[in-house]
Amino acid sequence: MNIKINHIAKIEGHTGFMASVIKGDVKSAKFEVQEGIRLIEGILIGRHYKDMPTIAQRICGICPIVHNLTAIKAIENAMKVEVSPETVKMRKVMEHAQFIHSHALHLFFLSLADFLDIENDLDLIKAYPAETVKAVKIREYGMAIVKTLGGRVVHSLRNEVGGFKKVPTVEELQKLITNGEEILPVAMELAAFFKTIKTPDFSRPTEYVCLKTKGEYAIYDGSVISNKGLNIDQQKFEENFHELQRPKEVIKRVQRDGKTSYMIGAIARINNSSDQLTKNAQEYLKSLEYNLPDYNPFHNVIYQMVEVIHCIEDSIKLLKQLTHENLENALTKEYVVQEGSAAAAVEAPRGTLYYWVDIDSKGYIKNVNIITPTAQVLTHLEDDIAAFIPGILDNDEKAMERKMRAFIRAYDPCISCAVH
Amino acid sequence: MDNEVKKPKIAIVSLTSCEGCQFALLDLGERFLEVAGMVEMIDFRLLEDLEDPGTDLDIAFVEGNPMTEANKKTLLSLRKRSKLLVVIGNCAAMGGIPEMKNYHEQKQTIKHVYKYIQGIENEEIQEVYNFVKVDFTLPGCPINGEEFLKYLPFILENLKSGAEIPQIPDSPVCVECKKNGNRCLLLDKKPCFGPMILGGCDSVCTNSNMACQGCRGLRPTANVKAMRATLKNMMTDDEFENTTEIFGLRDDIEKWEADHKE
Repeated sequence: MNIKINHIAKIEGHTGFMASVIKGDVKSAKFEVQEGIRLIEGILIGRHYKDMPTIAQRICGICPIVHNLTAIKAIENAMKVEVSPETVKMRKVMEHAQFIHSHALHLFFLSLADFLDIENDLDLIKAYPAETVKAVKIREYGMAIVKTLGGRVVHSLRNEVGGFKKVPTVEELQKLITNGEEILPVAMELAAFFKTIKTPDFSRPTEYVCLKTKGEYAIYDGSVISNKGLNIDQQKFEENFHELQRPKEVIKRVQRDGKTSYMIGAIARINNSSDQLTKNAQEYLKSLEYNLPDYNPFHNVIYQMVEVIHCIEDSIKLLKQLTHENLENALTKEYVVQEGSAAAAVEAPRGTLYYWVDIDSKGYIKNVNIITPTAQVLTHLEDDIAAFIPGILDNDEKAMERKMRAFIRAYDPCISCAVH
Repeated sequence: MDNEVKKPKIAIVSLTSCEGCQFALLDLGERFLEVAGMVEMIDFRLLEDLEDPGTDLDIAFVEGNPMTEANKKTLLSLRKRSKLLVVIGNCAAMGGIPEMKNYHEQKQTIKHVYKYIQGIENEEIQEVYNFVKVDFTLPGCPINGEEFLKYLPFILENLKSGAEIPQIPDSPVCVECKKNGNRCLLLDKKPCFGPMILGGCDSVCTNSNMACQGCRGLRPTANVKAMRATLKNMMTDDEFENTTEIFGLRDDIEKWEADHKE
């Protein structure tokens, strides 16, 4: 029997999926990616480094901040440009905001309907108007932060190598803090709603990879670690993870040494670092009564809700600190353009994003490599579905397709990112 | 009454893109959901997972670049099915970031990215208007959500009564930039394309001290010659060319210069 899904809707980007099952045995389970190639890495070669964050963030419309910041960090590492602590703090807040509005979009508008057996979000919105308003308001807080600190939500403007072109006023920060404090209880209410959602059962032990650092839940920076003992500096990423392209495929898959697939994203981060979450996030997590380690990808959606709470709480804390600091220190100061090559990694909402860049003495890009979360997790998702299918074979074809689509959507894949 | 006035049948489709323009719409939050409630959404893959019934449409909003054969097929089919086809965003309107490939290594660009290139579509990048008639364009990278809300009533009115959809005013970014109280970047020798670019974005980039790089395209009465003369002391010809490549502006500049040869 062949199960063919032509186009998976309610995910970022275009892909289909095909599985072949013979006598209950899954012979193949594969993505059929339909995205055109934009060749971002190819067109960056020969361009001045100043254009790289502008261009790279256009890899993705839902997570442009993380592409922008990872590009900036890689360039700063390569040219040995130092930035002020105020700059780092502002970037951390922006990353939190990225998580808040991307997660809230995904968990409510892309995945929730799957758990309620609804196929059109416009029906979901009619059925749950109060929750819709909450999800929209939570997104607006995240977007307000990005707009205030970055200048625009989709494809921000103020961040650059060395700092910021313009910084907010203390009044603008205070407005955000007030907004955040109003939103936190709203997030807790939406979280309570999500707690009542019944997710399907499935479990397949795996390796969870993410960034980790001392003193905080790692998003902006950290070493690359896993629950199977991995612990490396970001600069050593490509020595431990290998990209490979299969003929005719446009997404380059990523393999850990040992050739097994691995998982990233909210579920990975929480499994690895739940004790570093903020107070309310940890309390909510505990109330879910999930036993960690948890290997059910459907829970990724609920873990995104945990991270929304964490990011709201932590962003308020960081913003309050910033109101006491000299924001002008975040304005870009002069630095020396010099040749060099280096990597950088930042946690995107969907998992670890990795950039490597090689710059010449005049600041032109000699070479660049971008490894996105979804590209890393593609094989793992296929492996998971191959294990998931035998358990749902006693459904009619339409029902099986719906369950598979729900599974894929729970991962929150970003196909445009994966192809870039 | 609602049942007497049929809701317009809408589709919002993305070809090859970052989908940022769709997110710019979703980011309007309640205001977008209101619009969605006022129309019959036949196809919007970001919010619903139902099969496109393939019915005729009143308006098809197209985002992204028609890169692959599948993209082109979708585009042609949408044009056939729809009374109006509205292009949203720089990739569809001007080629976008992907068009940068045309200016340097063209077909060879792929070799920097993939080891196995057989069977992967790698055509020259072209704008949507090369394939189908476009009834209206919302420019920008991404589009301005407010601008979408501003022109939607005119687009719907055009459907109803045939009234012409007004053009986006031929006014440079500078007008909004001045209104927003910014200090002109050109005064500080920062190369900015504002004077020759179509306004309507509320000078969002210059508000953040970022020079305009022309994502909305040349305005109808742009004076590229005067712009280049102004920029002469601020950027080399190479730097000018490189910057115009980012948002697919370079081919439009070259066309202007060819059309305005003395």
